[in-house]
Amino acid sequence: MDRYQWLLVFHMTGAFLLLGGAVFAGIFNVAAMRRERPSEIAVLYRLVRIAVASVSAGMLLTIVFGLWLVADLDYVKWSNTWVILALIGWVLANALGSAGGRREKETRVLAERLASEGDAPSTELRARMRDPLTLALSWGSGVVVIAILALMIWKPGH
Amino acid sequence: MLALLRPDSFNFPLFLHVLGAMTVTGATAAAFVCAVSEPRWPWLRMVLARTLIFATFPAWILMRLGGAWEDSRSPIGDDAGWLGVGYIVADAGFVLLIVAMILAAVGVRRPQRNWPIRTVAVITGLYFAALIVAMFAMTGKPGS
Repeated sequence: MDRYQWLLVFHMTGAFLLLGGAVFAGIFNVAAMRRERPSEIAVLYRLVRIAVASVSAGMLLTIVFGLWLVADLDYVKWSNTWVILALIGWVLANALGSAGGRREKETRVLAERLASEGDAPSTELRARMRDPLTLALSWGSGVVVIAILALMIWKPGH
Repeated sequence: MLALLRPDSFNFPLFLHVLGAMTVTGATAAAFVCAVSEPRWPWLRMVLARTLIFATFPAWILMRLGGAWEDSRSPIGDDAGWLGVGYIVADAGFVLLIVAMILAAVGVRRPQRNWPIRTVAVITGLYFAALIVAMFAMTGKPGS
C-alpha cells in the first residue's frame, strides 16, 4: 500500500469511529428515553461515554489525516468548495456535539442523584431527556456529520 | 485517487453503502456492549434485542444493497481480493445477525437462560472485528 492508501485508511478509520460512535450514542439515548427508573437511565448514559471516546478519537483522526490528504494530493486544492464546506461542517459538528454532550452530562448526573435517592421515576428527568434543545444539538451534530460524508463522496466544486 | 476519478452516477450507491457500513459498525458495537453488560443489568436484554432488530440489521441491509448497487455500476475492484473480503464479511453478517436476533429474542422470552445472550456477545464481538477488517480492506485496497 502506498502513502495515499495509508492516509485514507486512517482518515476512514476516524470517520467510522465518528459516525459509528454517533450511532452508538443515539441507540443508548433512545433506549434511555424508553426507561423510567433513574438507575437504568444512568446506566445507559454511562454507556454513552464509550461513544464519546469514540467520537472524540474520530474527530481527531478525520481532521489530522484529512488535512494531510489535502496537503499531499496535487489534484485537491484548499480552495475546493467541498474541502472548505467539510472544514466548516467539522467545526459545526464539534460545536453542536460538545454543547449537546454537556447538557446530556447534566442529565446523567441528575439520573445518578435520583437513583441514589430512592430511584423513583421523575418528571424532571423525563423532561430533561426530551429537552428539544439538547436533542437538536446532539442529533443536529449527527446530521452535519452525515452531510460531511456526502460532501466527501460527491465533492461539489471539484 | 480512485475516489476522485469516480463518475457522478456511482456516488449515491456509494453513499448508501458507506453510511450503512458506518451505522452497522456502531450498532454492532452497541449490541456487543449490551450483551457483555447484561450479566450486571439483565434489563439490557430488551435493549440488545431492539438494537439488533431496529438498528443493526436495517443498517446491514443498507450496507449490503448499497454495496451491490455500487458494484453493479462500477468496474473498480472486479475480481480484487479487497472486494472479496467485503463480500465475505457482508454475507457472513446476514447469517450471524439472523442468529444473533433469534438468540436475543430467546434471551428476552426466557430470562432464566443465560447462554443465548453469551452467544450473542461472542457473535457480535466477532462480527465487529470482521467489520473492522473489511473496513481496512475496502478503504486501503491492499494489492490494488
